[in-house]
Amino acid sequence: MRILVVEDEKKVASFLKKGLEEEHYAVDIAFDGEEGLFLAQINEYDLIILDIMLPKLDGMEVLRRIRIHGSSVPILMLTAKDSTENIISGLDSGSDDYLTKPFAFAELLARVRALFRRKMKEKTDFLRVGDLSLSTSTHQVKRGGREVELTAKEYALLEYFMRNPNRILTRTLITEHVWDYHFDPSTNVVDVYVNYLRKKIDRGFEKKLIHTIRGSGYMIKDEP
Amino acid sequence: MILKNIRFKLTLWYIIILGLILTSFSTFLYFTLSSSLYKGIDVKIKSIAELIASSSTNPFYRYSFGNIDRMLEDPFGWKPVTKFFQVLDESGRIGRKSDNLQHFQLPISALALKNASQGKVTFETTKALGKYPLRMVTMPVIRRRHIISIVQVATSLEEVEEALKTLLIILCITVPSALVVASLGGLFLANKALNPVDEITKTARMITSKSLNQRIKLRKTKDEIGRLAETFNDMISRLGRSFKQIRQFTADASHELRTPLTILKGEIEVGLRRRRRPEEYRKILNSNLEEVNHMSQIVDDLLFLSKADMGEVHLQNHRINLTKLVSEVYAQAKTISMAKDIKVHISNDADAVVIGDRLRLRELLLNLLDNGIKYTPEGGEIRISLERDGDQVKLWVKDNGIGIAPKDQPHIFDRFFRIDKARSREAGGSGLGLSICKWIAEAHGGEISVKSEVEKGSIFTVILPLAPHNEGMAKNETKHPGNARYKIRGF
Repeated sequence: MRILVVEDEKKVASFLKKGLEEEHYAVDIAFDGEEGLFLAQINEYDLIILDIMLPKLDGMEVLRRIRIHGSSVPILMLTAKDSTENIISGLDSGSDDYLTKPFAFAELLARVRALFRRKMKEKTDFLRVGDLSLSTSTHQVKRGGREVELTAKEYALLEYFMRNPNRILTRTLITEHVWDYHFDPSTNVVDVYVNYLRKKIDRGFEKKLIHTIRGSGYMIKDEP
Repeated sequence: MILKNIRFKLTLWYIIILGLILTSFSTFLYFTLSSSLYKGIDVKIKSIAELIASSSTNPFYRYSFGNIDRMLEDPFGWKPVTKFFQVLDESGRIGRKSDNLQHFQLPISALALKNASQGKVTFETTKALGKYPLRMVTMPVIRRRHIISIVQVATSLEEVEEALKTLLIILCITVPSALVVASLGGLFLANKALNPVDEITKTARMITSKSLNQRIKLRKTKDEIGRLAETFNDMISRLGRSFKQIRQFTADASHELRTPLTILKGEIEVGLRRRRRPEEYRKILNSNLEEVNHMSQIVDDLLFLSKADMGEVHLQNHRINLTKLVSEVYAQAKTISMAKDIKVHISNDADAVVIGDRLRLRELLLNLLDNGIKYTPEGGEIRISLERDGDQVKLWVKDNGIGIAPKDQPHIFDRFFRIDKARSREAGGSGLGLSICKWIAEAHGGEISVKSEVEKGSIFTVILPLAPHNEGMAKNETKHPGNARYKIRGF
């Protein structure tokens, strides 16, 4: 899951990136409104965390312009102003949620998960494909009742797969949602990580869940 | 309740005073009139008695009393319709009497008889005849030291009593009605005068801290009430401005503290989410310390300004050699600026002594230099110069930094005013430095101003009054005279 953080206060942006990355999200940062809008338009993010008070272009305007272009990406507003009008105008302009600074980081994470669930129309933070299950809050992965140990990147990749079961995921889509913009698309890192994941998920099981779709990409599905 | 109402009080006073005036006037009128009427009656009956007395001794006038009416009519010109006469001898026996007394006779008292025997005239009021009392004169007729007869003339007091009664009735009706009319008029006037006051009260009562945009409708006239309303409106506007400034200030202050709090909370929470290496903890703690320092700076500055607002900052006034102080601050600024490769120059030839607080003046200079260093890019230049100008000293801090846009210049000394939020936070300012500079300059009887051009730089000018030449003065003044005058405007 790839998140864009638009926040001019460098230290806030920095702990957000660090904390979110430790939760296996891919995070890009923009320090002003213009940069944020640009990144939001060229990349496909799963979520945008947007500060309201931004230099160059304020957060409300960024929000409006993202929505004008028809994007329905979930947007969580961060605001230092807790006045009701600001919150109302933020929600009315198309933001999906808001948090008032200073906020509890755990709450931010819970809201991020909730926004993802809403986007995927899921009811809980428990994802399941066949006998493979993944908890987005505890990051616990089990296959056939046995816990599977995954690295951060493997987990992020599996979460993306499991949020999109029975759907062909191209290498581009995977890089866009699992890696941040420092990713070099000319490498075969995606294939390498999919192989790592296969070894941990499918090895020793008769029924394979991760499938290669020739010429297109990968798919996770329960049926053979 | 009604006595708390000024219009009723006014009317009541008005009525009491008018009532007293009218009552005393009526009493005076009544008694003056009554006394003059009675006196007139007495004069009248006495003159008739004299006439009769003279005629009764005049041998040529011996005609009957039946003609006396005509006799009286001739010299006096009026009809003595209700006059009664009788003539008695000195022992009190009745002789002749007027026709209208046919079956009656006028009473004669022992006192009157005794007075008459001594040759004195007696006036009496008796109730002898009819409904109304009679006024009677008893007069002895004396010839050659002997009383030859006694003449009695009486007249009914009907006309006088009736006239006085009528007057009393008129007064009893007119005075209270005049008072009623006057009280209505008074109430009307009081209402007219006080209604605008009620209106002011009503508006003033409706005004709370949230509805300070309301105003009292102003009357066209500039009378007392008009001026009162105007004063009220001025006061409300001032209150409104203060409330707005306080709200703005509170919002700014909380916003200013919220950013470091967000960072502290976020960094600590993220840091605690997992076990980390010592270097990582060190990094987090260092960053936390930075934020805590920043917050302390903001809180210190806020505290200073709020103390200054309350007039609780007292200057330790001494003679300060400003030239020396500028050199000291210059040396300090030079070390700070080296990190940013900014050159600091000084032209400090003028010898200037001012009276002021050394610490505060130092703070003022350091703040200005620090500000210059913050907003001047690497490789820039800052120049401090000092110049005497009459009985003032001018101090410039000039930089060739980013400058201030004309629209921002009037606000540059406002609290928490930030041209670029991110830049100033990175530079580590509290957003209050220049407000404090302004306070210090003004508390020393001076002023501070700025001239700036975007991308070319800014010049901050501080003008301070020079110390007077005589040495002994203001050596150790602890409290600045009229401290309140130097409260920063707007608070």
